[in-house]
Amino acid sequence: MLFLQHFCEMLYQSSFGTMLRESNNAFSVIESIHVLSITLLVGTIAILDLRMIGLILRSVSVRRVARSVLPLSWSGFAVSVASGFLLFWAEAAKMYVNPSFRTKLVLLVLAGFNALIFHTAVYSHAQEWEQQHISPWQARVTAIASLTLWGGVIVAGRAIAYF
Amino acid sequence: MSLQDWFIALSRSPLGHAMQTSRWGFAIVEMVHLLGLALLGGSVLIVDLRLLGVILKGEPAIMIGRGVNRLLLGSLTVMVLSGIALLSEEAGKCYYSPAFRCKMALLAAAVVFYFTLHRQALLRVQSGKPTLWPRFAAVISLLLWLGVGVAGRAIGLL
Repeated sequence: MLFLQHFCEMLYQSSFGTMLRESNNAFSVIESIHVLSITLLVGTIAILDLRMIGLILRSVSVRRVARSVLPLSWSGFAVSVASGFLLFWAEAAKMYVNPSFRTKLVLLVLAGFNALIFHTAVYSHAQEWEQQHISPWQARVTAIASLTLWGGVIVAGRAIAYF
Repeated sequence: MSLQDWFIALSRSPLGHAMQTSRWGFAIVEMVHLLGLALLGGSVLIVDLRLLGVILKGEPAIMIGRGVNRLLLGSLTVMVLSGIALLSEEAGKCYYSPAFRCKMALLAAAVVFYFTLHRQALLRVQSGKPTLWPRFAAVISLLLWLGVGVAGRAIGLL
């Protein structure tokens, strides 16, 4: 853990980190891009989750929704990780001790595990149930977990500024 | 009562008082506003990308529009209600904010467009590649909603 703390302090004190932190506009612009890309990521994942729960787009098969939505989710993920890393770089030493930031990272890992379980154990059999208006319970459980975890990521992310 | 009087009345209302004095009130409502944003952003994107002919080309556009209509209007309602609570915290200041005025104008335009021309465009696209007008409508819709978000972000910065 000491190594991690040193690494965060090194990033914080680096000239690039200091430049980002002290800039007038760069930090706000990156922050705005971060919020927009998370909207893209979570908004599109929510479409697939709500479809499986049976709340929206019931007449469209789950696999057609997934194929339309997941490339968008991945693009949102890539941009939010890149912009998030820049924001972290600027504030790394503070982030290391920030409880909301730690919570956000834990929720991200859990959301990743949930996605892994969904793709390997649930979605791989999707052709058997993709037309059903309400997906089987296994799919609904991962969908509710996904909505909860990604919602938690947004909430914890916003809370970072308050600690 | 002038418009400005309404803004001042809002900031002096019990809601405004609660938002100004509570320790976590503003933060929690802000989080609800952001959660609503993710759902609204997702539903707007799905409808407009269908209208552009990028995704779900096999389905009539109006079917996708109807399929996410409740989610879109539901999340918009959550955003408007949480937005009013956020506004009540410093309504007097927001009244003069150019970013806030810009956001409200864009929001009004986006909502009117959604219920009128955008809806007509959805009805026109059956399946396959859409013609020029529906694609143009999708681009206008995306730009209007994106503009609402960007102007909203600017309220806190300008």
